[in-house]
Amino acid sequence: MAIGSLLPGHQGKLLARPTSTRQQPSRSVSQSPQTQDCLTIVANMSADQHLQALTKVVLNNLENQHDWTQVQIHIQDNLPRPLIYGLPPKRLYVHPDEQIDIIKAEKQLNQRVPQEPELEWVLPLHLAEKWSISDFAAVFDAITAIPPGGESVNANEDAQWQLWRGPKRGKRILLATVQDDSTVTYYWMHNGLVKPRQN
Amino acid sequence: MASTEVDRQVRISKIAGRYLVFDIDDVAYIRRQHGICAVFTGTMPQNPTQNVFLGLPLELYAEDAKMLLDRKVAYIADDPLEHLTQLKSMDDEMRKSYLQSIKTQRRTAQLVFNEAKAQSMAKHKDKRKPKQPQPPVVVPTELPLPASSADDVAAAVDQEEGGAESLLGSSSSKPVKTDSSTPPQKPLVKEKLPAITPTTSNAMISNGTSNPDVENHTALPLYSYLNERGYFITPGLRFGGDFSVYPGDPFRYHAHYMANSYGWDEKIPMLDLVTSGRLGTAVKKSFLMGGQKPATENSEAGELRAFCIEWAGM
Repeated sequence: MAIGSLLPGHQGKLLARPTSTRQQPSRSVSQSPQTQDCLTIVANMSADQHLQALTKVVLNNLENQHDWTQVQIHIQDNLPRPLIYGLPPKRLYVHPDEQIDIIKAEKQLNQRVPQEPELEWVLPLHLAEKWSISDFAAVFDAITAIPPGGESVNANEDAQWQLWRGPKRGKRILLATVQDDSTVTYYWMHNGLVKPRQN
Repeated sequence: MASTEVDRQVRISKIAGRYLVFDIDDVAYIRRQHGICAVFTGTMPQNPTQNVFLGLPLELYAEDAKMLLDRKVAYIADDPLEHLTQLKSMDDEMRKSYLQSIKTQRRTAQLVFNEAKAQSMAKHKDKRKPKQPQPPVVVPTELPLPASSADDVAAAVDQEEGGAESLLGSSSSKPVKTDSSTPPQKPLVKEKLPAITPTTSNAMISNGTSNPDVENHTALPLYSYLNERGYFITPGLRFGGDFSVYPGDPFRYHAHYMANSYGWDEKIPMLDLVTSGRLGTAVKKSFLMGGQKPATENSEAGELRAFCIEWAGM
C-alpha cells in the first residue's frame, strides 16, 4: 500500500502516485492494525522530510536560478505546509487594468512611474500531488494579500494606480511545481476571477 | 415588445436527453436577456453534410436548462410524448386549424418570394436598360416566353394574388425550401402556393407546462456564478476545458477563461492544472477552476471558490 494514502490531509497525498494508488485494495488486506500504525508514523516522518526537501528545492531555485532576495520560509498553524515568500528581481505581475491605470497616471504626472518589485507568496508543490478546490481555498484564506514585511512599502494609496499594490488587492500565489528531476516551473494562481494578462 | 419579453416562457424540448430550443425568438431572447449562447445543431435538409453554418435547433447544456427553469422563464416539454398524444387525440377542428396554419406559412413564403422576385427583376431591368432599349418586362430569364406566359394566364384566373404569384410557382427551378407537405393537404389547397418544410411543429402542439426534471447539471454552481456576472459560456473542448468563458457576447469578445468545474473535495492532479494552465496561456486565456462548498447543517448554500491559473513567465 502506498504509505502516503494512509494519512489525512495533503501531506500523505504527495507521496501517493497515481500508479501506486490503483493497487491499494489487494495489498491492504494483509496488513494488521499494528503494521498500519507503524507505517503511519514512518509516513508522517517521511512526509515531513519530503515537505522540507520540497521547500528547500524551491527556495534554492528561487535564490540561485531566479535571483530572488529576502527569501523566507513562512510557517503558520492554519497552513497545510510551509510557504515561501521573497522579493523577485523585477516586478512579476501587473494586472491588465493596473497597466491602464499606470499609463493614465504617467500621462497625468508627466513622468514615468517606477515599477518596483513586490514581495510574492510561493507555494511549493510536487507535480505528482493532487489538490482539491478546498485545499487551495484553505491556503488563500490563511494568507494576507501581501507577505509580511511588504506592507510598509506601499503606504500611500491616494491614487487609483497605487491601490493595485495595496493590502486590499486580490490575493495571488506563485505555484512552484517541482518535478522529480528537480525542475521547478512557476504558475500564478489568483483568488477569484482575474482576467488574463494578454487578451 | 417589452411586455411580451417579460412573460415569455421559453419552450425547451427534451428529446433523447438533450435540451433543444426550436423557436428563433426564444433563441434571441435567452441570448439577449440571459446570456446563453449554447450551440446551434441543425443543418439543412438539402445539404446535411455541411456543418459550418448550423441553424435551429439550439442545443442547451443541462446547466442552461436548469438555470432558465430556476428563473421561471422556461418550461421543459417532453416532445416525443407530447407529439404522440397530440397526434392521436386530434379532432377535425384541430386538424383544420393546423392545416390552416401551414397554409398561412405558405402564403407568407409566397409573399416573400414575390418580393424577392420583383426586386431581382427590377435590378435586372436597370442593368439591361443601357444595353437594350426595349427589354421584355415579365419574361423570366430561364423560361421560354410563350410557355410560361400561357401558364401564367391560365393560373392567374382563379387566384386573388394575380399573375406574379403563379409565375413564381411555375418557375420553381430554385426553390428555397423543399417539398415535404403532407399528402392530405393537397386536395384542400386550391391556390398554387410554394411547398414548405415547416421548421417547427409549434402550431400543432399546445403550450403545455410539462416539467420533466433536468439531470446531470453538476457544473451548475460555477455555471450560474459566471452567468450572473455577465459572462457568456460556450463549450470549451477546443481549448481543452469544459467551458470557454467570454466577458460578453462571443460575437464581440475573445474568451478570457477556459473553465473546469470540480467538486469541493475532488482531488485534481497537479499535472492537470499545469497542462491546462500552459494551454490556457498559449491561447491567451487563463485557466479557471471552480467548485462549490457543499451544504452543511449550519449553512445551506455553500460559497463558490474560483481560482485562475496562468504561466508566471519565469
